[in-house]
Amino acid sequence: MKHIIKILSLLVAITAFWIGLLETSVVPRSNAWLLPIYLIVSLGCYGLLMVGVGLMRFPTCPQEAGLLQKDIAEAKEFLKQQGVDVGCD
Amino acid sequence: MELADRAVGFILSVISISIFTYYTFWVIILPFVDTDHFIHKYFLPREFAILIPIFAGVTLLSLLCIFIGIVMLKSKKKKA
Repeated sequence: MKHIIKILSLLVAITAFWIGLLETSVVPRSNAWLLPIYLIVSLGCYGLLMVGVGLMRFPTCPQEAGLLQKDIAEAKEFLKQQGVDVGCD
Repeated sequence: MELADRAVGFILSVISISIFTYYTFWVIILPFVDTDHFIHKYFLPREFAILIPIFAGVTLLSLLCIFIGIVMLKSKKKKA
C-alpha cells in the first residue's frame, strides 16, 4: 500500500511538472510533448538494464550442485536396497 | 552455458545504456543546442523521436500477442 502511494505521488509530480512545462513554454511546445515518451523509453531501458545485470551476476553454486547429485545417487542406492522402484537411473 | 548467459546479460546492459544515452541526448539536450551546430548531423529529425518508440512499442505488443496466441493454440491442441 505504501509503494503505490509513492508511485502515484511520483506520477502526479511528473504530470504537474509536465503540464507546467507545457503551459509556461520555457522550451518549445513540440519538445515538451516528448517528455512522456522519454519517460516510457527510460523505463524500458531501466527494465532491460535490470534484466541484463541480473543475467550477468546470476548466482550459481556448482559445489552445491555436486553435493546434491551425490545425495540423489545415495538416496537411489538406499531405496534400491529397500526394494523401492525409483525409475530410470 | 554460464559464459553465454553472462555475455547476453552484458550485451543487454550495453544496449540499454547506449539507447538511454542516445535518447537523452536527442530529447533533453539537443533542444538547447544551436540548430546549425555540427552535432545535429548525427541525429534524425525530431519527429522520429516520437515515431520510433511508438513503432517499436506497437511491434513489441503485436509480437507479444502473436506469441500468446500461438501458445494458447498449442496448449489447446495438446489437450484435445
